[in-house]
Amino acid sequence: MTMRKVAVIGAGMTKFVRRAQETPKELSWLATRMALESCELTLDDIEAVCMGTAPDSFDGIHMKGEYLSDGAGAWRKPYMRSYVGGGTGVFVPIQGWYHVASGMFDVVLVVAEEKMSNFYPHAQAAFLTIFDHTTERPLGPNLLWIFALEMNRYMTTYGISKEDIARVSVQHKRNAANHPCALLGDPDITVEDVLNSEVLAYPVQRYDVSPVSDGAVAIVLAAEHVAKRLTDKPVWVEGVGWNLDTAHWTNRDLVYPRYVEYAARMAYDMAGIKEPKKEIHIAEPYDPFDYKALHHLEGLQLAERGQAPQLYIDGTAARDGNMPVCPSGGLLGVGNPIAAAGLMKIAELFWQLRGEAGDRQVPGQPRRGIAQAWGDLMQVGTVVIMGR
Amino acid sequence: MTLLERDPKSPLTWSGNLPVTSRYTFGLAGEKFFRAIKDEGKIIGSYCKKCDHTYVPASQFCEKCLAEVSDWVDVGTIGELHTFTVLYEGYDGARLVQPEIVAFISLGDGGLIHRLGEINLDEIYFGMPLEAVFLPEGQRQGSILDIRYFKPAG
Ligand SMILES: [Zn+2]
Repeated sequence: MTMRKVAVIGAGMTKFVRRAQETPKELSWLATRMALESCELTLDDIEAVCMGTAPDSFDGIHMKGEYLSDGAGAWRKPYMRSYVGGGTGVFVPIQGWYHVASGMFDVVLVVAEEKMSNFYPHAQAAFLTIFDHTTERPLGPNLLWIFALEMNRYMTTYGISKEDIARVSVQHKRNAANHPCALLGDPDITVEDVLNSEVLAYPVQRYDVSPVSDGAVAIVLAAEHVAKRLTDKPVWVEGVGWNLDTAHWTNRDLVYPRYVEYAARMAYDMAGIKEPKKEIHIAEPYDPFDYKALHHLEGLQLAERGQAPQLYIDGTAARDGNMPVCPSGGLLGVGNPIAAAGLMKIAELFWQLRGEAGDRQVPGQPRRGIAQAWGDLMQVGTVVIMGR
Repeated sequence: MTLLERDPKSPLTWSGNLPVTSRYTFGLAGEKFFRAIKDEGKIIGSYCKKCDHTYVPASQFCEKCLAEVSDWVDVGTIGELHTFTVLYEGYDGARLVQPEIVAFISLGDGGLIHRLGEINLDEIYFGMPLEAVFLPEGQRQGSILDIRYFKPAG
C-alpha cells in the first residue's frame, strides 16, 4: 500500500478556561481561524474538515459534530466528526492524516473542541451516561472512582508511592506556567501541595486530577507537494496507531495498558522506529490524572513496567532532560477540554519541533516526538509520531 | 428471545434515565442578539462585507470565509413567510387540542423559525409579510420566546 507523506503546516488554539463565554461554535471558530492564519491559508484552500469532539452531553447538544461544523470551517465541504471518547484528540489528526495520505485531499483542517462547563452543575456527572445501564449505572459511577480503582491497582502492584506519582502533577503544572493558554500553570507548586490537597476518591486527590475546561484547538494538514510549497518547516506525521481493548473493564489489565502498547507499536512500525527510548525526543502522553502519564509512558515502551516514576525522579522527563515529558504542561496544567486537550498535544509537538514553543521550548532542537491519548470506556489508545 | 417470549422467571426490565442538565452561555454574538430582543424589542443580524451576507440570527463569524463579522444590523421586525406547517401532534405523540402553525420567517439572508398567531390558515401565502409580536418590556428575559409569535403585518 502506498501512502502519501503528510505534514502539519499550521496550528492554533484558544486559551483553556474554566467557563468560556463563547459558544462551542465560537470556540471552534477562534482556533480554526488562528490555525489558518498561522500558515497564511484561507478557507478556500481547505478541501475537507475533520472534527473531533467527545460526549455530546458536555456541550449539551446532541450530534454536536453537526452543530460545530460552521465554526470549524466545514461550510460546503466534505466533513466528518470522529469520536473515541478521551482518545478523540489524537484520533482526529489520524482521521485527517488518512484523508491526505490516501490521496483524496491535499489540504485538510482538523479541529477539536469541548465545552464542559455547559454541563450543570458539574461535568463529572456527564460520565454517568457512558456506563452499562444495568450492571454499572445503578451504582452511580463517575470517572473519578474508575480512575481511583485503576490507580490503586497500579500503585499497589509496583509499590509506587503517592509522592512519586505527585511529582508528575508538579512537573506538568510547573511546565504549564510557561504556556500562554494554560488554565492551571503554577511555577511554585510542590509535592506537598499535591499530597495535602483534598481526597476525592482514594487514592485520587484534587491535584492528581486535570481541571474541567473549555477550549478548542485546530491544525492544518497538507500533502507533501503542498506542504513544501507553503512552508520550509513542515512537521511530518511519521506514524499513527490506534487500538481498542475489551469494553468490559473488569476483564482488562488495569496495571498495564496493552491497548496503548498495540497502538504505539503500530505507529513505531510505520515510523521505522526500533528503539523508542532512544528515538523519541519528546513525549506527550495523555495525563488527565498524574498516574496516567506514568501508565501511558509504560504502554508507549518509553519506560519499563512500574519504572516510569524514575523518569521524573532522575530528571529524564524534565523540560531539559533527555526525554522531556509533557513540556506543554499537559492536561494537568494546560487544562482538559477533552478532545481539544488531545489535539493540544499534537499542536505542542508541532511548535516544539519547529522551535516555536517560546518559553517552554525544549532545548537541543528535538527531531521527533510522540503524542498519545486514551479514552472511550477507558480502553482506547491513540498515538501519533511526528518528526522534522 | 424477544420480550414476548421471555422467561417469566427472569427479572423485569430495568428503568434508567440519562440525567443531563445544561447551563448555556449565549456566546459572543448571542449576547448581542438576545439583548437586542430583551432590551430593545429588535431583531439584529450581522453582515459580512466580503461575502455580502447578513446572518440572522446574528453570528460572530462568517461561515463562508471565517472572518469576524463586526457590522451589526437591525433587520427590522417584519420578515417574509418562507414556508410553514401545521402541527396536530405534540412530540409525545398526543393529539394537540389546538393545532399550532410554525413557519420559517426570512429576515436578512437567514431567518427565524417561530410560531404564527392572529392568523387563519386560509390567509397564509408564501412571501406574506409577518411581524414579530414581543412580550411587554418588563416580561422579556432574553429568550427566543420573548417573541410570542409572528402575525400578518400591517
Ligand atoms: Zn464572509
